Amino acid sequence: MYIEEYLDVFISGLTNGSVYALMAVGLTLVYGVSRAFNFAYGSFYSLGGYFAWVLMVYLGLSGGYLMVLLMAVPFLIGFGYVTEKVIVAPLRKRSDWEVKVMMITLGLALFLDNGYQVLFGPRMKSLPPIMTGAVELGPIYIANQDIMIFVLAISGILAFRWLLNNTRIGMAVRAVAQNPIGAKIVGIPKNRIFAATFGISTVMVGLGGILLAQKYFISPMGGWDILVKSWVITAFGGMGSIRGGLLAAFILGMLEAYVGYVFGMTWVLFALFGVLLATLAIRPQGLMGKWG
Amino acid sequence: MDWKRMSGTMALIYGVMALMPLFVGGTDHLMHILIMCLIWAVVASCWDLIMGFAGIFSFGQVAFFVIGAYASAILALTFGIHPLAAMVLAGVVAAAIGVLVALPCLRLKGAYIALVTFAVHMILEPFLKSDMGRAIGTGGSRGILTIPPMELFGITFGAGDKVAVFYAALVLAVVCSVIIMLVIRSFWGTAFLALKDSAGFAASLGVSAFKYKLAVFALTSFLTGLAGGFYGHYIGMLSTRMLGIDLFVMLMIMLVLGGIGQFPGAILGAIVTVTFNEALAPLGTYRPMVLGALVVVLVLALPDGIIGLLRNLVPGRGAAEPAVAESTAANAGGQG
Repeated sequence: MYIEEYLDVFISGLTNGSVYALMAVGLTLVYGVSRAFNFAYGSFYSLGGYFAWVLMVYLGLSGGYLMVLLMAVPFLIGFGYVTEKVIVAPLRKRSDWEVKVMMITLGLALFLDNGYQVLFGPRMKSLPPIMTGAVELGPIYIANQDIMIFVLAISGILAFRWLLNNTRIGMAVRAVAQNPIGAKIVGIPKNRIFAATFGISTVMVGLGGILLAQKYFISPMGGWDILVKSWVITAFGGMGSIRGGLLAAFILGMLEAYVGYVFGMTWVLFALFGVLLATLAIRPQGLMGKWG
Repeated sequence: MDWKRMSGTMALIYGVMALMPLFVGGTDHLMHILIMCLIWAVVASCWDLIMGFAGIFSFGQVAFFVIGAYASAILALTFGIHPLAAMVLAGVVAAAIGVLVALPCLRLKGAYIALVTFAVHMILEPFLKSDMGRAIGTGGSRGILTIPPMELFGITFGAGDKVAVFYAALVLAVVCSVIIMLVIRSFWGTAFLALKDSAGFAASLGVSAFKYKLAVFALTSFLTGLAGGFYGHYIGMLSTRMLGIDLFVMLMIMLVLGGIGQFPGAILGAIVTVTFNEALAPLGTYRPMVLGALVVVLVLALPDGIIGLLRNLVPGRGAAEPAVAESTAANAGGQG
C-alpha cells in the first residue's frame, strides 16, 4: 500500500468520523440527560435521509442542500419532541421505565423501518453530492464533497456546543443532567427539557443521515448499522460524556476506514466490537465516562 | 406471586396445551403453531428470568437461540452426534458463549449491558455468513438445509409427525419452566430480590451480585440454546433470517404481554403472541409494521402484562401484592 492510499483512507476515516461524532453526541445527550435509551436512533437516521430524498429527488425541490437543511431541522426537532412526549414520557412514572423505554423504541424502530419499506420500496436510494469536484494537494485528491461533509458535521457539533453552553435552554439541559431534583426545585420544566433533548438528538442523527446518504445509501433497514456504530462509539467514549464521544468517534472512524480497506468491510463490525469489549473490560465506564 | 399460584397457573396453561392435540391433532398447520408456542414459551421465560428477575438488561436472547440451533445442527451433521446429545451440547455451547459475554458485561451497568448483548446479536449474522462461519459448517448465507430430525424409541420427531414433536416440546417446556420456577423460588431468587431492592445492603450481607448474575446468565443461555437446538431439529433447516429484527420484537411482545417479572406470564404471552402473529399473516408486508405499532401500544396500555391486567380486574385478590420486579421507585423517580 502506498502512502497516497493511506492518506485516502485517512481522509475517509476523518469524514466518517466527523459524522459519527455528530450522531454519537446526540445519542449520549439523551442518555446523559434523561437516562433514556433510544433504540429507534438508527431509524431516525434513515428518517433524515428519506426526508432529504423526498425533497430533492422525489419532489425535485430547487434550492439545494441549504433549503433541505432549513426544512429538515424543524421537522426533525418536532418529530423527536412529539415522539418523546407521546411514547417515552408516559413511561417515566414506572419503576421499570428504563427497560420499557428500550422496548417501546425498538417497537417504534420496527414500525418506522417497515414504514419506509412500504412507502419507498426496498430499493436503495441515494442523494446527489452536495458539491462536486476535488481539491488537489500534491499527489492526493480530496473530494469537495468530503470537505463539505466534514465542515457541516463539525459545524453541527459546534452549534450544539454553543446551544449547550450559551443559551438558557442549554443551561436548563445541563442543570437537569446534573441534578434532576435540584433543577425541578428551581423551576425548570424537567419534562419539557427531556423532550427537547430528544428533539435535538433527532436533528443530530437526522443530519448525519442527510450527510452520509450522499456517500452511501439510504435503505429501510440501513439504520441498524448506524445504531450499533453510534452505540459502540458512545460506550467506547463513555456514556454521557460528550468529549469522550468526540474522541471515540474519530478513533473508531479511523479504525473502520483502515480495517475496511485492509481486511474488507465485513470485518469492520468485528473490529469495532472487539475494541469496545477490550476497552470495557479494562475501563467499564469507557474512555471518559463517569458512572451514575 | 406465591408458589402455589405460580405452579397452579403453570399447570393450568400446560394442562390445556396438553389436551389441544385431541382437538386439532389432525391439522398440521395448527399443530405447528402449538409447537412454536411451546418453544417460544421457553425462550420468553428465560428472558423473563434474566431481565425481570435478575434485572440484567440482556438483549441477546435470540442470538443464544440461534447459536443453539446452529450448534446442534452442526454437531449432528458434521460429527454425526445423536440429535438429543447434540441438543444438550448445543445448550452447553450457548452457555459457554453466554458466560464469555457475561464476564465483561456484568461489570457494566444497565444500558451498557443491553448494548453489548445486542451487539452479539448484530454481529452473529455477519459471522455466520462469513468464511469463518462457513468453515465451521454454517453454510454461509444459504444456511443449513438438511438437519436430521431427532429419533428416540423408534419415533421420528420431525415435521412428519407433529403430534410427537408437540409432546416432546411440551416435555421440554415443562422441564424448563419448572427449573425457572425453582430458581425464582430458591435462594437465588431471594438474592436477586434483595439485590434489586437494596444493592448495597444485600452486598454487605454477603450476597455476591456477580456470582448469581453469572450463574443465571449461564442457565438461561443453556436453556435457550437447548430450545434453539430443538427448533433446528424440528424445522430441519436454518438460515440467518431468524436474526431479523422482527423476530426479536416478537419475542419482546411476548414478554410485554406476559408482564416483565411476572413469571408464568411469559408463557401465556408466548402463546398469545404466536397465535396472534399467525392471525396477522394475511397482512403480508404490513405485518412487521403492525407488530412494531403493537409494541408501542402494548407497552403504554398494558404496563404489567396480561397477568397484571387480570390482577387488576379481580379486586381484592392479591391486588396489593407488588410485582417481584418492583425496584426502588424512589430511585427511578429521582432519575426520571
